[in-house]
Amino acid sequence: MRARVIAVGVALCVACKASEREVPKPPAKLVGVRVVDLIPLSLSGETWQDAEPFLALYTSNPRLMAASAFTPNPGGSASATAPIFVSDDGGDSWTLRNTLPSQSMTADITHAVGGTPPVLYAGIMKVPDFPLNELKANDFLSPATMTLQAFRADIDQPFVRTTAVGNADRVYVGLNDFDAPDGRTATVDVSLDGGTTYASRRIETRTTAGQNGPSIRPAVAQDHTVYVAYFGWRSNAGADVTSDVVVVRDDSGATGATPFRDLVDPSDHLPGRLVATGVTIPWSNAPTLGQERIGSTLSIAVDALHSDNVYLAWADRVGTGDIYTVHVRRSTDRGATWSSDLRTLTNATDASLAVSTNGTVGLLYQQVTGPAGASRWVTRLEQSRDGFATHQDVVLATVPATTPPFQFLPYIGDYNGLLTRGNQFLGIFSANNTPDSANFPQGVVYQRRVDFPTHRLLDGSGAPVAVSIDPFFFSVPVLP
Amino acid sequence: MHTRSAMLLAVALSCPGAAVAQMSRAALVKQSDIIFIGTVTHVGAVAVPEVPPSDRTVVVRVDQVLEKPAPVALTAGDSVTVETARAGSLKAGIQATFYTTGWIFGRGVAVREVGHEPGQSPVVAADAREAVARARALVNDADLKAHIQRAAMVVAGRVEQVRPAELAAAPTRPKRITEHDPDWQEAIIQVEDGIKGAQAGEQVVVRFPGSPDVAWVGAPKFAVGQEGTFLLHKDSTTGSPLSVIAGRSVPAYTALHKVDVLSKQDATRVRSLIRKP
Repeated sequence: MRARVIAVGVALCVACKASEREVPKPPAKLVGVRVVDLIPLSLSGETWQDAEPFLALYTSNPRLMAASAFTPNPGGSASATAPIFVSDDGGDSWTLRNTLPSQSMTADITHAVGGTPPVLYAGIMKVPDFPLNELKANDFLSPATMTLQAFRADIDQPFVRTTAVGNADRVYVGLNDFDAPDGRTATVDVSLDGGTTYASRRIETRTTAGQNGPSIRPAVAQDHTVYVAYFGWRSNAGADVTSDVVVVRDDSGATGATPFRDLVDPSDHLPGRLVATGVTIPWSNAPTLGQERIGSTLSIAVDALHSDNVYLAWADRVGTGDIYTVHVRRSTDRGATWSSDLRTLTNATDASLAVSTNGTVGLLYQQVTGPAGASRWVTRLEQSRDGFATHQDVVLATVPATTPPFQFLPYIGDYNGLLTRGNQFLGIFSANNTPDSANFPQGVVYQRRVDFPTHRLLDGSGAPVAVSIDPFFFSVPVLP
Repeated sequence: MHTRSAMLLAVALSCPGAAVAQMSRAALVKQSDIIFIGTVTHVGAVAVPEVPPSDRTVVVRVDQVLEKPAPVALTAGDSVTVETARAGSLKAGIQATFYTTGWIFGRGVAVREVGHEPGQSPVVAADAREAVARARALVNDADLKAHIQRAAMVVAGRVEQVRPAELAAAPTRPKRITEHDPDWQEAIIQVEDGIKGAQAGEQVVVRFPGSPDVAWVGAPKFAVGQEGTFLLHKDSTTGSPLSVIAGRSVPAYTALHKVDVLSKQDATRVRSLIRKP
């Protein structure tokens, strides 16, 4: 659909003072937007590809946040631990702490907070051998290694969400469990007791092509409704997978014996609403879209206060010359019926959704634009209060897509992160870290040593450092 | 590192006997990634706000950096927060060589002490640098020797061919599609020098992950024409221990650690380490 972009409000627009002058205007800058490079000053010589960032934050303490990326322990490949980033000042500054029990780095990581700060839960694929580790820290600011609560082999993409019920944290870890029977691998590990025990809940009820897609994404509302989105892979031929896009729901926090059965598709009366059927997912573990691989973009977000309202984003190949296209849809009746595409974004990936307490939906995505030789990764946050009939568009970063060359895949991440708290959207993305103000239209703060006039990164001694991929935290005011 | 170990090492380093000291220094170096000469300026204090002060934290002014990872910004004159192995083990004004691991990286660096070496006062930087370099060489040699001992075969040779691995299907384990799939490839290596477990003229199959995925970023990749010294391990990773060369069934090997692939010139060093008791 064609969405009309709202002109940034006069009250919010810094650039408007110059609007009547006949001079070129810089991109609109919103008041209150922050973009912060997470790499700290003491790691100014860092040149790693810090891809696939993720973020966790507390409602009750806006100063505390945890973040992660494919950032290695600065001590080197023999290190027994991997790091997370922590902030205790609301994201203005970040430090790196080696608290994950994984050799130097993880092969996948997501995390979410417990009800009481500073409890943190994490799901990682541990190096070496890549088993799932479900972890907990009672104090994520502590230098102590996180505690292992559960583990097993043969899984992919653990994706952690949490909610607090009374004094107990409920933990939902979406994952692709290759040991699940009958090729129905879409699974949610559910803990109702703060990770002390987990039960693996299978959520696929239909026949698959031998497995589901890697992305299994839970979303939790305050009334304990839990939605989970997944790809129901039905067949594959060559590099393309034919898939359904499915949403299951549980109305009581997955506390029952047979959870995630509360949303049934009218076509076959099986649990799991088929939001889209027979879509083509290009599965490419090679640089395909701006040096990034593609094949598992999926996000779901529920209005925490009004669990009837839920948004879904996924990416597939439409076949109109696109490489990869993000679709956004909405349900206002608990997933029973779904809109057509509210947003259709060509050659985009890493869509992440969040719904603020006033009902505004945020959509973070990263899109390749421009001609092949001069293509750019453009990272945007769109917000809408009317189901994307209109929306506000904020460009957080626009950086070269061809440099630096990839060190591994994912280049910027198979996912990024968007959350909301109060009147802010808070998120994280990875991008080329060249210190060039033109690349960050909303401004940017580096902790690491940089020289903006020459667009150079510098190490501790002032010597130039090669451009690489860094994680960037951001906050954007929610549309009032 | 445990406090007791640190104390023992500190004692050993203060003992006469250069060999004993060098061995102990090597033990410290092995566990350390940031090594510097520094002077304690404050006890029970911190240089960065991210670390709570305690009776084990001291602030040390860096006099000379001896070893550090490239990403770490640490130069002479910086103040570093050190969590000591033992409370009360350092007093203000003491200069020492500090063996540490990175702990917290923010505006400044906080490290955990593995041990420290008082040495002479003031510490002679050139002597300390040379001593640490010698210890690092010992550690590297010991690590490589251990890898050699674990290897089933060590050869110097040339990669003649790279091909997709055809792994025997595991009947109970269907092929999974995941972004972490290693995409196993096979390198056929023509052995020019059979250093351990092989003879010149043999061909050996070495499996390696062709995948660009992050999970395999540290594993060596092979290319046609590549020459080197290769530490090869019987394939216990893919679940399919045999391969085929010219119709013959042969054992398959892997070389998944970065130390498993060395330069051709390293063959001499490898032979020397094998001979060394």
